[in-house]
Amino acid sequence: MGKKKEEQIIYVDSKGKRLDGRKVDELRPIKITAGVIPRADGSAYLEWGQNKVFAAVYGPRECLPKHTASPYKAVIKFVYRMAAFSVPDRKNPKPGRREVEISKVCGEALERAIFVEKFPNTSIDVTVEIVDSNAGSRIAALTAASVALADAGIPMRDMVCGTSVGKAGGKIIVDLDKDEEDASDAVDIPIAMLPNSKEVVLLQLDGVLTRKEWDEAYKMAEVSAMKVYEVQKQALKAKYINGEADANKAEKKGVEEK
Amino acid sequence: MTKRLVIPGELVTEERKKLGSHVFVREGKIYSDSIGLVNDEADFASVVPLEGKYAPQMNDVIIGVITSERFAGYGVDINSFYPSFVSKKELREVLKPGSIISAKIMKVNEFNEVELGSIRLFFGGEIMPVTPVKVPRLIGKEGSMLNIIKGGTGSNIIVGRNGRVWAKGGNLDLLRKSIEKVEREAHVDHLTDRMAEFIQSQTGGKKPEAPRGEEMFGEGEQ
Amino acid sequence: MISALWDLRVDKVVADLKEGKRIDGRKVDEIRKITITHGVSENADGSARVKLGLTDVIAGVKMVPGTPYPDMPDEGSISVGAELLPMADPEFEVGPPRDEAIELSRVVDRGIRESKAIDFKDLCITEGEKVWVGFVDIYIINNDGNLFDACGIAAMSSLLETKMPKIEDGKIVKGEYAGKLKVRAKPVLSTFAKIGNVVVADPILSEEKAMSARFSVTITEDDNITAFQKGLPGSFKIDELNGAIDVAMKNSKQIRKLL
Repeated sequence: MGKKKEEQIIYVDSKGKRLDGRKVDELRPIKITAGVIPRADGSAYLEWGQNKVFAAVYGPRECLPKHTASPYKAVIKFVYRMAAFSVPDRKNPKPGRREVEISKVCGEALERAIFVEKFPNTSIDVTVEIVDSNAGSRIAALTAASVALADAGIPMRDMVCGTSVGKAGGKIIVDLDKDEEDASDAVDIPIAMLPNSKEVVLLQLDGVLTRKEWDEAYKMAEVSAMKVYEVQKQALKAKYINGEADANKAEKKGVEEK
Repeated sequence: MTKRLVIPGELVTEERKKLGSHVFVREGKIYSDSIGLVNDEADFASVVPLEGKYAPQMNDVIIGVITSERFAGYGVDINSFYPSFVSKKELREVLKPGSIISAKIMKVNEFNEVELGSIRLFFGGEIMPVTPVKVPRLIGKEGSMLNIIKGGTGSNIIVGRNGRVWAKGGNLDLLRKSIEKVEREAHVDHLTDRMAEFIQSQTGGKKPEAPRGEEMFGEGEQ
Repeated sequence: MISALWDLRVDKVVADLKEGKRIDGRKVDEIRKITITHGVSENADGSARVKLGLTDVIAGVKMVPGTPYPDMPDEGSISVGAELLPMADPEFEVGPPRDEAIELSRVVDRGIRESKAIDFKDLCITEGEKVWVGFVDIYIINNDGNLFDACGIAAMSSLLETKMPKIEDGKIVKGEYAGKLKVRAKPVLSTFAKIGNVVVADPILSEEKAMSARFSVTITEDDNITAFQKGLPGSFKIDELNGAIDVAMKNSKQIRKLL
């Protein structure tokens, strides 16, 4: 272990291939299914690389305790939690400060997207549970939560989508995985935005970047976020497109039976 | 031909039109705020959502379930954002948890809290759920869809705007299947025609006997 | 999501049962469809997702090195924890596990422990110095009743596919495994609800809202009983308990085949 061993790791080779074979601007595979938790008002299950995430939405509903309610808007309560077995070294089930911070910034990211003024005195409760993780879990959580909110029929001005972007081995890359996050010069920037207006609603940074590197990183992140948006769109529409296929089948059957 | 399906934030139209429900304007263009079907008419644009809780409107007839009894009244679940409440003073009947009532929304305040009136206790029957936003589809233009279903099942049916259907007598199994069909295909065109075909295929064109003298409301055991 | 109106209509659950009908059409001793998916979390040493009807739970096992108790220097241990996630039910709150979650964890744990499904001596790494502690963490994703049995199945399924982390020169080699966890028994938990004068197996959520008492029993392969738990303020007559145990013996064989 130590610097000597690390210097031998080539994060992006001469052919532009990363440790797992991806190109610098390539995302890990993302799969989303909407409506997986029958009891919730809206829900989604998402896989992003190794990350596996459940998101559920309850609301708008009575905001309790009453003193947390606002007479002007719905209060968004976002809870991000990681299962004890979701990380290589078992995590204590008690929520840590990292989870509390992530819950806060994710809730704040969603508030810009939701028409909260339409539901004063209520709360919109979003809970996300990470059951398997490998870097980028907070963006995965936000991506899933956004789908769950649409699935719940909560009016929004836009979805929320994003990616992580950053640096490893001197190169700007999107969607860092765990090995890349461990690079000695690693920079990790989770970023989320509203895809149609490009408003940035979540932005954090760990590491050091030059101004020029940030410009390059942002451009890459915006393109990637739009790719994530497409996956969200497909996932939401899939429920209904399949339904139409059923309806056409039924119609055909009815005609044949005559 | 099916109406166009959009998700929150997706473009409805770039033309200047009057705003209907579930749309908003940004930089001169009209966008959807929900997952739903686009109504892009000549002079106005709106979206009919496919998901969402029941947002109470004045004069809506709804179906509620009593959840608890308190000293002065009863807690009622109306399938909306908050539970509601009816005071004993307004009631002729004695209710208990599980009792099903029909009620009219007399008032809605800015918090979407409601005042209920015209409360009647249902006598017997069953309630079946339907997604609240699909209720208009179940009723159809001027009641056309509901009439087809009533004709085919012979059941006494009351549709609550809040996503609950009360029914008594007739072919309840066929009614259940018809509701499921509307749920699955609410977003596809010509549903009324397909429903007529479906009912025809299930009943062989036989009109069931309408229940006679069936009481819908009243006191007593359910 | 379509709300389950039956949750509000305890009166209908009770009335139907008086006519011998269950709200979802099952017979009184019939259990719901069970689906088990393995390997649902790669970071876990063993994991499983179980659907019992619409009840949906995920369990994951992590083998963690620890120090043994001084009076049992060659024995490791297990620890079972369950969390009622707020996503699973509008009435589950955010916060530390409350009474229900703790009782659930302990009942699942008891069946596994008492049946000696895991021999703690198998978990010894270096006597007196290092032993394995097997943490089984269970998360409820969707609540449609009978979390006890769903968690029992999930815990056993995840243990049965648990791989042991590799040890070289007394140190754990991260990301590498050597062999599977030795599971010596397959106890099955069966839970019953008393509604009025009827006892039903595998209560669905609406039935749980109508029940006056709950009874759980763990049965082993050789038809022995290794755990009892009676819950809620109501009571059972001995005939009702014995009837339930008979049904548990029958159903546990069916469930064990799926593990």
